[in-house]
Amino acid sequence: MTPAVAQPLPEGLPGDRLSRIQIDRSCRQTVVWYMVSAVAWLLAGSLLALLASIKMHTPGFLADADWLTFGRVRPAHLSTMIYGWGSMAGVGVLLWLQARLSRVRLPLPLLLPVTVVIWNLAVLYGTVRILQGASTGIEWLEFPVEVLAFIGFCMAVIIVASVLMFVRRQVKHTYVSQWYLFGAVLWFPFLYILGVVLSEAGDVRGVAKAAANWWFAHNVLGLWFTPIGLATAYYMIPKVIGRPVHSYHLSLLGFWTLAIFYNWAGTHHLIGGPLPAWLVTVGIVGSMMMFIPVITVAVNHHLTMAGNFHHLRTSPTLRFVVVAAMSYTVVSFQGSLTALRAVNEVSHFTHYTIAHAHLGVYAFFTMMMFGAAYYILPRLMNTEWHSARWIRVHFWATSLGMALYWLGLTWAGWRQGEMMNDPNIPFLAIVEYTKPWLHSRSLAGVLMTIGHVSFAWLVWNLVRQRGAALIGPTLLKRRKSA
Amino acid sequence: MFLVYLVIWAFTLLAGASAVWALAWAVQTGQFRDFRAGAASIFDEGEPVGRVTDAFPGEGKHP
Ligand code: HEM
Ligand code: HEM
Repeated sequence: MTPAVAQPLPEGLPGDRLSRIQIDRSCRQTVVWYMVSAVAWLLAGSLLALLASIKMHTPGFLADADWLTFGRVRPAHLSTMIYGWGSMAGVGVLLWLQARLSRVRLPLPLLLPVTVVIWNLAVLYGTVRILQGASTGIEWLEFPVEVLAFIGFCMAVIIVASVLMFVRRQVKHTYVSQWYLFGAVLWFPFLYILGVVLSEAGDVRGVAKAAANWWFAHNVLGLWFTPIGLATAYYMIPKVIGRPVHSYHLSLLGFWTLAIFYNWAGTHHLIGGPLPAWLVTVGIVGSMMMFIPVITVAVNHHLTMAGNFHHLRTSPTLRFVVVAAMSYTVVSFQGSLTALRAVNEVSHFTHYTIAHAHLGVYAFFTMMMFGAAYYILPRLMNTEWHSARWIRVHFWATSLGMALYWLGLTWAGWRQGEMMNDPNIPFLAIVEYTKPWLHSRSLAGVLMTIGHVSFAWLVWNLVRQRGAALIGPTLLKRRKSA
Repeated sequence: MFLVYLVIWAFTLLAGASAVWALAWAVQTGQFRDFRAGAASIFDEGEPVGRVTDAFPGEGKHP
């Protein structure tokens, strides 16, 4: 899998500034390994997802082996996707962006590749333990506690690398993406440590434990995935279309309001639960305040794109990134509304929440990582993607699959919630009602998996350098004359 | 219980203090001044404003 036959580095730019290509080369080993590992976990997670999805409408499917029961494949799906695919792709993109934005080489060239190996082994071990039935039973923290030590070590190395890059940076301005990335890198380890300590220390029980659990899970989304996703959008959109972000002022306001408000919102996952009412109200207020960063980001990205939407036809990166950025707005609006007690009364405990969850982790975050991969990987491998057709298959299969997933379960989930609140409707009638929609989710899952396989095929060929070679620091630059 | 309190308070103080520190640092080093330069900092002589930098393989008419 080792990419790279060492090639002589081209001359740097005038002065002592490193050229873009030198920086990209320095990231090659670490970032490509993170991304390739992430893609492998994406495939594993998709398989587990399909199993979980099919079991919801056909419970007898592969139910004879205990390690394939719903109670195990579902958390295994969540954990492989969140800690394998999402986090590893996120770390790869984060390291590359930081090196580029600071205009320095990626530091720790020996230690960082080691973290890829450790991270992979940790996720593999955790997933096997879940399938063996040794899950901790705490949502989002199903991996055994030992995994913390390994991922914690990797994160410590990643923090050191981030700080080194920042300290050595060759640019005067700290670009808005760097704010987000620094936030993510510093917040996540604290969240993870606190999350594990609070749920494993025997003193925290019952309601307090649930509150700690959801404070953690919510912040993994809001203070880890969200900032990495937004940092990517803030870099890729202006960079691809060649136009500075519309309002830099707004972009900084968006960062600081996210940092201030997001971590208050965790208790909105427990609305209606036996928590002190004020604690839930705090979460709801936090969710409402989120309108500020969300609207700020949405307006800013839209105005940056204004007049440039025609590039969607020609740029794969932009397609994925813009779909992701638009999904961010939608999922956040939906989330803020869902946090209102009147709405949550209906939607909680239904498929509606699952639809929202995937609009966030898939349509926003996963699509953003796909977009970033289309930009980053060719530059690291010095090779062009081998097929435009497979990229189109990837885009349309995942987009249509995601749309079907969200529309079907949002509609069915809402109806399901209304019916559950009506004491005259027998429970089994509601189960029957949802079945066709669960089938449509499985269909959506097949479409999305087709997309993932196409993507994996493209990445595989790229890593084997089976595409046209790129020359010069910019992709496709030589075609300028053509 | 001691461990729990220790971790919670350590986290709260560290996270809070680092945010205040970052904000103070940003104000002092002029990160909130000259927004135009901030927005332009991702472009340079090699890839100036106005250059489109991504296209489907084999189909890019521009750059
Ligand atoms: C302002 C932004 C957002 C708000 C106010 C919000 C609100 C909510 C609420 C109230 C729930 C709980 C629903 C219930 O259980 O009844 C929820 C669940 C969820 N949200 Fe969001 N959301 C926001 C953005 C996002 C984003 C950006 C993502 C993904 C990156 C996301 C991913 C999820 C997931 C995965 C769940 C399900 C968690 C689980 O049950 O395992 N949300 N959200
Ligand atoms: C092939 C596409 C996918 C399919 C078919 C799929 C399917 C499923 C299913 C069936 C569940 C269980 C729902 C339930 O318990 O009612 C689930 C939960 C979940 N999946 Fe996926 N999934 C896919 C992709 C992803 C990706 C890429 C991610 C993360 C990046 C992800 C993150 C999650 C999370 C966080 C939950 C828990 C949601 C909650 O508790 O509210 N999924 N998924």
